[in-house]
Amino acid sequence: MATMGNNNLNAKLVLLGDMGAGKSSLVLRFVKGQFIEFQESTIGAAFFSQTLAVSDATVKFEIWDTAGQERYHSLAPMYYRGAAAAIIVYDITSTDSFAKAKKWVQELQKQGNPNMVMTLAGNKADLEDKRKVTTEEARVYAEENGLFFMETSAKTAINVNDIFHEIAKRLPRAQPAQNPAGMVLVDRAGERSRAAGFSYSNSIDCLRVVRRGLSSFHGETVRRFDANIRKVDPYVTDWSTFFLAL
Amino acid sequence: MESDSDISTSFDVATDQNPNTNPPETTEEQLQTLTVDETYGVADLNETSNQRGMDEAENGSVVAEVDGRPEPQIEELLAGGPPTISAVSEAVEEVLDLSSAGDTLRDDFELEADPPLSPSSSGYAGERGSSITTSASGIEEVDGDEIDEIDEAMAPLDGSGDASSDSVPWIPGKKHVDEDDASISWRKRKKHFFVLSHSGKPIYSRYGDEYKLAGFSATLQAIISFVENGGDHVKFVRAGKHQVVFLVKGPIYLVCISCTEEPYEALRGQLDLIYGQTILILTKSVNRCFEKNPKFDMTPLLGGTDAVYSSLIHSFSWNPATFLHAYTCLPLAYPTRQAAGAILQDVAESGVLFAILMCKHKVVSLVGAQKASLHPDDMLLLSNFIVSCESFRTSESFSPICLPRYNPMAFLYAYVHYLDVDTYLVLLTTSSDAFYHLKDCRIRIEMVLLKSNVLSEVQRSMLDGGLRVEDLPPLDPSPRSGFLSLHLGQERLVTESQERLKEAYLGIGGPAGLWHFIYRSIFLDQYVSSEFSPPINSSSQQKRLCRAYQKLYASMHDRGIGPHKTQFRRDENYVLLCWMTQDFELYAAFDPLADKALAIETCNRVCQWVRDVENEIFLLGASPFSWYGCCLWCCKEWRWC
Ligand SMILES: Nc1nc2c(ncn2[C@@H]2O[C@H](COP(=O)(O)OP(=O)(O)OP(=O)(O)O)[C@@H](O)[C@H]2O)c(=O)[nH]1
Ligand SMILES: [Mg+2]
Repeated sequence: MATMGNNNLNAKLVLLGDMGAGKSSLVLRFVKGQFIEFQESTIGAAFFSQTLAVSDATVKFEIWDTAGQERYHSLAPMYYRGAAAAIIVYDITSTDSFAKAKKWVQELQKQGNPNMVMTLAGNKADLEDKRKVTTEEARVYAEENGLFFMETSAKTAINVNDIFHEIAKRLPRAQPAQNPAGMVLVDRAGERSRAAGFSYSNSIDCLRVVRRGLSSFHGETVRRFDANIRKVDPYVTDWSTFFLAL
Repeated sequence: MESDSDISTSFDVATDQNPNTNPPETTEEQLQTLTVDETYGVADLNETSNQRGMDEAENGSVVAEVDGRPEPQIEELLAGGPPTISAVSEAVEEVLDLSSAGDTLRDDFELEADPPLSPSSSGYAGERGSSITTSASGIEEVDGDEIDEIDEAMAPLDGSGDASSDSVPWIPGKKHVDEDDASISWRKRKKHFFVLSHSGKPIYSRYGDEYKLAGFSATLQAIISFVENGGDHVKFVRAGKHQVVFLVKGPIYLVCISCTEEPYEALRGQLDLIYGQTILILTKSVNRCFEKNPKFDMTPLLGGTDAVYSSLIHSFSWNPATFLHAYTCLPLAYPTRQAAGAILQDVAESGVLFAILMCKHKVVSLVGAQKASLHPDDMLLLSNFIVSCESFRTSESFSPICLPRYNPMAFLYAYVHYLDVDTYLVLLTTSSDAFYHLKDCRIRIEMVLLKSNVLSEVQRSMLDGGLRVEDLPPLDPSPRSGFLSLHLGQERLVTESQERLKEAYLGIGGPAGLWHFIYRSIFLDQYVSSEFSPPINSSSQQKRLCRAYQKLYASMHDRGIGPHKTQFRRDENYVLLCWMTQDFELYAAFDPLADKALAIETCNRVCQWVRDVENEIFLLGASPFSWYGCCLWCCKEWRWC
């Protein structure tokens, strides 16, 4: 959940996906700038934090790198509960991992926070010759489900920082009025409970919810919606102009 | 002295020989030993007359009666064995020699190793025992190591194998995945471990790919089920050099096939630990999957845990905790450990179930919430899990973990964080959303540890190592003033006689040919073992010694025969000496040519030494076992106040 004080955002981010898809590798690339050829399978979940500066704020990501191993699947809610953002990772050389990714998307749509910024990462993009999942296939799927999509490579670092930046930009911002300047949130517990009570105050989240509703009936409307959504400044507070454009 | 020979042990002999060097408490302990000995004497006789030995009446289980009936598949696997599987005969033979040895032991405290003692050998009381009995068990170790190890020596770059050849470090993870039961190399491996489901589905195999071993697994399942259906349990089967040990845990079957001559109890204990490790990863509720679907495939649930199992199996050959059911501490100055304990205690009071600070497999400090106590086996399995999973080193983690002895049905949540390369903190809780709290606890703990220099002391202790046999101080008959410190910075008291002894044994261990010892405190659930020093310096020698101790432990704890109080074995590898009292067990290994009386005296010195430095080598008080520790700690007594 993203919370803000003094333009500082704390955002819980969770990585989900099949084992071996490269979740840990993506995080390690992002947090430590490293890549390990023989990355060990994650146990339970590993926690990282990393701060990013975006144009209007500093975002401190609290990252949960979950284990893709089957035995931990049922424990995933423990890690994605209350997350402001999720990266669902698959391996472009494995159709199975893409199928698993779709399952995670479904689960998050059902169980997760409706305001969650969901992104889809097709990892191991450096292994073009072994590709099994086409970019187009994944892009269409992502659009249909309102996911931000990128192909990444933890190995070559392609798009890794970008995906985190994009998430940082898309994170719902609390209304500045609700956080008067000078007030700093220090109490962690308080911070979290406030986060849990997050309201639909933000444009981009409303859009996402509306879009999810649309996607269930009319393809053409969805496409127009998507075309418009890109034009909209995520920070507009004037809703009427946007809805008129629809 | 011989007149009341049934209450005199060789320690009496030692006392006679060196009347001035034994402190009074030694005699006291002997008396205690003797009392207990007498009590058990009757039971021993009963057991012996039954000659039941290996089959435990308690479970109503029997040794597989498959003698004379060839089992084609097993036969095929155990190439080199005789054509029939004779389970009963060999087992009984072993029991017989132990029980006859038991009598000998009480008489003159002499057990000249296996093979079986001839009954006449019990008549040589007073002999100092310098003869060397060729032992059958020795042959196995001398003859050749596991094929695994040979492989390695020849191809050290394939990144496989046990830590056996000195130059090649042990590497965790699955070995020889390409093999299956048709491979000759697979068949030649000296020790196999299998886990399979009651429907015969492979779950884990030490060597080879589980799926390729499906046929073999089905065979094992058939054997177990055949006997189970008759209302019995197969415990083990012997086929020539091979021993097949079975352990049935509900829908999960565990099997060890070994020609390492390790005793049944030891192998069974190892299977128990493998099962425990599985429960630690999955909890016992995995049984429900089998209730729903008997053909359930459990292998995917254990994905990515090969390193955990291989590290555990490797530890069977070097870590005494695997058979002692005790844990060991990193030696630390008393105030240092106190400082660590205090901050852990602080945290435990804030809703943490267990706070454990460890360095590799050694405990720095450990605290449990009120009434919660941690079983040493759980600690072994937990530390094995953490140390063998590289993933914990990357960052702080929060993972479900089950402690099989604490509650096999439920997960606890473990916050794991490495404070330096080898030192890690584990905070266990029952609450799945305690992560941020535990993280805050860790930050506090880490700060205190840094401020009070605990972490640097820990690193120093890692470098310095523990007790060394070379440093064994001479026996001090006068009342002790203060404490002799082990080498934790302070200077040791080096006497003339010690220097002399050192000279005599320079480079070959400690005084009187002492090579190594393990001291296990029964109240504390802790043990301390000396560092391996020459000539026990290669990992294959360490493994051999570990197995010798294991055998000694098994024979001392064999319920069929009753607990022995003392044992003295000599074979071509060592003189092994074991001494058990209510408070402690001492296992010591000497040069095979060591003088018996001197060896016994040396053991007394070891015990005194351990007591003198107990503050530094054990975790006293403030532990989950504090009701014991308290007495030790406040009264300096090795028993209840
Ligand atoms: N070529 C290539 N290999 C990658 C890339 N990302 C990860 N890998 C490799 O894929 C393997 C698995 O990566 P991990 O990061 O451990 O995968 P994971 O999703 O964290 O797996 P679990 O922790 O088991 O869920 C490792 O051997 C990585 O080196 C990539 O972008 N390109
Ligand atoms: Mg991972």
